[in-house]
Amino acid sequence: MARLGKYKILTLMVTLFFVATFVIGCATQETVDEPPDQPVVDEPADEPADEPPAKTSITILIYANPAEFHGFNIGSGLEEAIGEMVMLSLAEIDPDGNFYPELATEIPTLENGGVVMDEETWVTTVTWHLRDDIYWEDGEQVNVDDVIFTWEAMQAAEVWTASADSIESLEKVDDFTLIVTYAWPEPEYVTTFGGENFFIYAEHFCDAEEGYWTWNCNSEPLSAGPYVLEEWVTDDHLTFVRNENYYEEGKPYIDEVIFMVVPEESVKRAIMDEGDADVHYWPAENHAISYQEEGNGTKWAVSPTDRWVMKLFFNTKAWGEEETPHAFLADKRVRHALRMAIDVDTIIEDIFLGFGKPVWTTFFRPPFNSCGIPRPEFDMAGAAALLKEAGWEDTDGDGVNECHGCLYAEEGDLMTAEYVIWSGYGETLEFAQQFIAEAWADIGLQTELSMLEDAVLWASPDEGGTELAGKFEIDMWDSGYSGVDPTGWLWDYFYYAEESEWNLANWTGEAAEEVGALIDELYTVDEDYRMEVFCDMALILEEELPYVELFSTLEQFGLSDRLQGVKPTTFDILTWNVADWTVTE
Amino acid sequence: MGQYIVRRLLQAIPMLLIVSIVLFALVNLAPGGPLAQYTRSRRMTEERRESLMRQFGLDKPLPVQYIIWLAGNDWMEVDTDGDGVKDSYGTRKGILRGDFGFSFKTREPVLKEIWERLPNTFYLLGITMLITGLIAIPIGILSAIKQYSAFDITATTLSFMGQAIPDFWFGLILILIFYGTLNNPITGKALLPSGGMATIGADFDIWDRVKHLILPVTMGMVGWVAWYSRFLRSSMLEIINLDYIRTARAKGQSERKVLYKHAFRNALIPLVTMFALDFPYIFTGYVYAELIFSWPGMGRLYYSSATARNYPVLLGVLIIGAALVILCNLLADIAYAYLDPRVRFE
Repeated sequence: MARLGKYKILTLMVTLFFVATFVIGCATQETVDEPPDQPVVDEPADEPADEPPAKTSITILIYANPAEFHGFNIGSGLEEAIGEMVMLSLAEIDPDGNFYPELATEIPTLENGGVVMDEETWVTTVTWHLRDDIYWEDGEQVNVDDVIFTWEAMQAAEVWTASADSIESLEKVDDFTLIVTYAWPEPEYVTTFGGENFFIYAEHFCDAEEGYWTWNCNSEPLSAGPYVLEEWVTDDHLTFVRNENYYEEGKPYIDEVIFMVVPEESVKRAIMDEGDADVHYWPAENHAISYQEEGNGTKWAVSPTDRWVMKLFFNTKAWGEEETPHAFLADKRVRHALRMAIDVDTIIEDIFLGFGKPVWTTFFRPPFNSCGIPRPEFDMAGAAALLKEAGWEDTDGDGVNECHGCLYAEEGDLMTAEYVIWSGYGETLEFAQQFIAEAWADIGLQTELSMLEDAVLWASPDEGGTELAGKFEIDMWDSGYSGVDPTGWLWDYFYYAEESEWNLANWTGEAAEEVGALIDELYTVDEDYRMEVFCDMALILEEELPYVELFSTLEQFGLSDRLQGVKPTTFDILTWNVADWTVTE
Repeated sequence: MGQYIVRRLLQAIPMLLIVSIVLFALVNLAPGGPLAQYTRSRRMTEERRESLMRQFGLDKPLPVQYIIWLAGNDWMEVDTDGDGVKDSYGTRKGILRGDFGFSFKTREPVLKEIWERLPNTFYLLGITMLITGLIAIPIGILSAIKQYSAFDITATTLSFMGQAIPDFWFGLILILIFYGTLNNPITGKALLPSGGMATIGADFDIWDRVKHLILPVTMGMVGWVAWYSRFLRSSMLEIINLDYIRTARAKGQSERKVLYKHAFRNALIPLVTMFALDFPYIFTGYVYAELIFSWPGMGRLYYSSATARNYPVLLGVLIIGAALVILCNLLADIAYAYLDPRVRFE
């Protein structure tokens, strides 16, 4: 073959490659199957041809592709937001922390006879009555079978939920009446089949053989909610359109909602500025405040109450040890001194740009925020004095305290510690870490600052995780509980910590045993008594200070001026009331 | 040549096997794990964790996990319900039979996850490479022909700048200018879109597709144009001073024929090798461009899998990428020998 021929062949191959490239790129990428058959709707009789109203559409900018339509798998935290578009549950929580029925006709309570506890056995039954006017988008009625189907699918898939251990049985009385039997009074019974993670699936539609983790409903859900998924292009966007079968007359008001995946934060901000989107989901603090300040067609919204609280966790044991006390963090006077040296107000105002509120007790949210724990003062001199009292003082003038009569270290040992933060939060947490470290340096604690990614910080010990292995000294990240009631959260932290084979007790300190012992007391229907128990816990935690609550980080969103009705809430996800949203042109 | 190709392909098998062992070990031995997102919430009882470990196949020793990943477990009895009793044969076929497992995040097959994104990356990087070639080759040739001219100095300066500019910064600047600042004088809207592959909800429109390509392609090609044009310039400069070029000129051939028939074609040969070695990028993706321009491609899949320790997806991307590197090396060698008669297959 002549040389020229070879080049022709090569040229042809290269040309074919680029043509193929362009053809691939031009191919459409529809990923969602045809929607199920719609119920037959009578066509209106010949009416005067009015101009159809313009289609209303909004765009929500999210940072990642949601994994699927349920909130129990590893995901982006956005699964609940898209779930609310199409799914319903028995009951939900409004922004003020009040329960409201969704699929149910009312919230079962002791007063209305929906909750009955056997005084001898403590076995508690909860009777749910479902509405009979709610339909799936294919016209089938939503009923008790769907609730039981969902629960059984979750159990088969070994999905763990807060109430899973206490449920003894689910009994169908009729199509719209369900009795749930708990082995003991379950404080979070209202959200057993509700709340931000839980959705009811259609028994007649979801492929039970495939199971909860992999069935078709995770990517092509059948809707009973305000919207229907029209299109899902992976990593690009999800488009939802009105569910014409939605049970609330006239809702939703907006015809189309698009979730657009935009990973880069500053690009999201640019898109909002151009007026090409309506919601910037979870903007960083510097962007959030600019929505308020600039007033160029944007605004911001925050939740009225807070959920996530930035906390400092102290390892009261030596690094990686189960029994040996930490040289200085095991002494609660030191822990109190370290808290006194932190100027929380400055962190909130100057670093978090006002997007936070001071928090100093675990029970800071209504309705359990009435224990009267006083806010600690920021007092550097007091902190230094308390350290001196604990036997830590800088006598050689090198800026680092030495042990002089301290409880757990050798005489002359230096006061140094590793101080870790979670890298996923962003630079504001880095600044806060540096600010706190400088304050501690002023009272003689020398810290080595570092950051760890999520997959390392919270991994199990056998995966090389640090925290659960007790291989840390001080770390800082935000934590909080969903819903209204902190019982499950406390159980996780204190009760379970005692039982776990991991070194969880390292960072719950001596308080773990005392608080853990009180948790059993919370499983009662006597709300006044529960309030007393919570306050007893609050006092113990304030005294022992196993961790330091610093400030709450607000649930914040950037919004376009035209979007109305958005009510961010700590108790649920942003889209909880998407059916009520409107746009003004 | 047939024998050579067969021999190289056979050599690739043990190499891929070794690569697979190294990749599997590195990915699994890195600190952290896929269950960290669960343990953060503290709602990770021992039973729940064991259940997830079993579901994800992480409950077995690492060598066994590797064998299952490689060869599947449908030939061995497994304990599916976690009661300690082996009750049925497994369902995994292993990567040797095309089963790359499922994503820990979505529980979808890994190949489905990859296939949803691969055409998008192929499209973006293919166009980027095409434009790169169309710009870099003339610049490289002209720079060599007109060595030390104003054009050459300008091209050299711009090339250094192109190589030095951090691409993620450049991408953001492009968005700031062409999306955030400049408007289309007719529609009043942004001159170019900020990202994505096409306008959401719009009917297919070739111009819309082109507009969505301009910024990510520009960001991607700047570094590549700089690199390829410099390389071609050096290659051309070496060749145009060789004896056979001088002979061609002495024989009275036109300068155009000398340059394009004799010099350029030979200078192009090392460029083919470079192109072949850059080709696997098409599979692993271009992380920065995909993140900044919201491009739903392989780079983002790779990045998110790595940070979340989504082992099956991460390993899938890496092992297919490794196979492509080996394959492209082979293709480069073949192309080299094909284009240069002095090189013989042995």
